[in-house]
Amino acid sequence: MRLEKCWFCSSTVYPGHGIQFVRNDAKIFRFCRSKCHKNFKMKRNPRKVKWTKAYRRVHGKDMTQDSTFEFERKRNRPERYDRNLADNVLKAIPKIDKIRVSREERHHKNRMKENEAKGQREAKKELEQSISLVKAPSALQQDPSLTLPKTIVKVSQQKSEENPLMEE
Amino acid sequence: MTCGNYFSQQQRTFIQMRTVLKVVDNSGAKQVMCIQALKGKKGARLGDTIVASVKEAHPNGKVKKGKVVYAVVVRAAMQKGRCDGSQVRFDDNAVVLVDKQGQPIGTRVFGSVPHELRKKKHVKILTLAGHIA
Repeated sequence: MRLEKCWFCSSTVYPGHGIQFVRNDAKIFRFCRSKCHKNFKMKRNPRKVKWTKAYRRVHGKDMTQDSTFEFERKRNRPERYDRNLADNVLKAIPKIDKIRVSREERHHKNRMKENEAKGQREAKKELEQSISLVKAPSALQQDPSLTLPKTIVKVSQQKSEENPLMEE
Repeated sequence: MTCGNYFSQQQRTFIQMRTVLKVVDNSGAKQVMCIQALKGKKGARLGDTIVASVKEAHPNGKVKKGKVVYAVVVRAAMQKGRCDGSQVRFDDNAVVLVDKQGQPIGTRVFGSVPHELRKKKHVKILTLAGHIA
């Protein structure tokens, strides 16, 4: 039993699922579901179809190079059964998964870093400009607590020195 | 996306009477037309034997045009279920000509063949094959 990858969307194909298409040049395409299969028949390029892993990797949305991916590379040489080895592998699999997931999350967070500051700026601007949609301007003047606190700009001390000079 | 694509695609159905199939061995025939699917009410599938009439042949081959032969389906456009639950399908319909005992007439097989043939006891075809799907 082997868990394959769907050719189109790169998700895992579990046994009993999907269709395997053998082309005349002996290249085998595996699909996880008919959605991917139909897209393939339409001759769509997975690198251009937004929901596939191929697109996300090409456009930098998901992590591309990491040492955790080395563990998933296909190996064609069967290993001689060794109980200790099998035991260690079974123990290591969830650990590697956890590390991979945390690295992917970190990558995602790095990508989304600027969004928070941008969101704050936009919210502030909207509050200043469109406050009239919420409260009438006359109400704001009567009760100043409803507006945003205005930022105080410090005037430099030099002006007071200049004035006595000018008065002369 | 154009829906007109579907008309140019192959109909994924059984191999029945009047189905024209490609011959992928060096027996001399190029195209055969199925006369009878030996097993199955609706038609033959991947790995089944059929009776066929040679429609097109190489000028000097073992098999001449018009001859009635037996053939084993080695590639079918219709998907076939495998014992692990997956489905396989090929790009075209192709056969290998055999005699009444099931031994291939030709000495070479081109293209890929499925390993369903092992269960059907067509071991000779598997050994001749270049690639097993």
